Amino acid sequence: MKMDEISMSSLDNSKLEGVAQDILSDLVEDACLGLCFEVHRAVKQGYFFLEDTDQETMRDFEIVDQPGVDVFGQVYNQWKNKECVCPNCSRSIAASRFAPHLEKCLGMGRNSSRIANRRIVTGNNTNNKSESDQEDNDDVNDNDWSYGAEKKAKKRKSDKNPNSPRRSKSFKHKSGMMGPRRRMDNQESPRMLMKDEAFPQ
Amino acid sequence: MSKDSQMRAAINQKLIEMGERDRLKELLRAKLVECGWKDQLKAHCKDVIREKGLEHITVEDLVAEITPKGRALVPDSVKKELLQRIKTFLAQHSTL
Repeated sequence: MKMDEISMSSLDNSKLEGVAQDILSDLVEDACLGLCFEVHRAVKQGYFFLEDTDQETMRDFEIVDQPGVDVFGQVYNQWKNKECVCPNCSRSIAASRFAPHLEKCLGMGRNSSRIANRRIVTGNNTNNKSESDQEDNDDVNDNDWSYGAEKKAKKRKSDKNPNSPRRSKSFKHKSGMMGPRRRMDNQESPRMLMKDEAFPQ
Repeated sequence: MSKDSQMRAAINQKLIEMGERDRLKELLRAKLVECGWKDQLKAHCKDVIREKGLEHITVEDLVAEITPKGRALVPDSVKKELLQRIKTFLAQHSTL
């Protein structure tokens, strides 16, 4: 007899009741097991008796509500004002600016080769023997372009620097690591995407 | 496999396939929490754990102690409601 020929209407009520009871029984058992696993995990993870802690200890873990301190009572901005000495250029840099500075200083970050190449271009404009010598390493790493094409392309690239989000921060120019101030004239709005330069003609 | 167990298997399969079993499970869990069954049983768990020792309690211990009590503590109203839903489902999907 095929499965799909079994019709429930042929069953009498008691059988129906029996089946329903069995299903209920399974469901209740599932619920009980679920609770057992939950409790067992709580026991093994150590949080089962958490609400039974005594008042004294509870007070130790109350939420802290003081200024300058987080809810656990830890000071959260203590590193803001610290200064570090850069091992490369021996300058004293603020802690929160240290990582980006190091990127530029060591020539290892995502944008550092871009900046360096830009500086070649501007170096070429003002003075022939630019820093192209020391930038040679970066050029070798740049797989997309050949060195010759790079010079031409980089000229245009100097105008579309706004793509890099860092361009917008004015205080970076103050540090003197970035290109000269005149770059500010080229950019009206730092975040503006120059559409016509995205597709070089 | 007898015709009976064939039929039961077919019913169970349909229950699962249509997602009804999961819905029933959720419904049961919600009702049991609502009526305080879970808290009662949890208190019983605490006793069992204190008795056997926190470090040495196993899942088997808990299952052995909790399941019979859990079954017994389910209120009749909850049972009735669940049974009603199950029977409705069976009636609606009588031809399998």
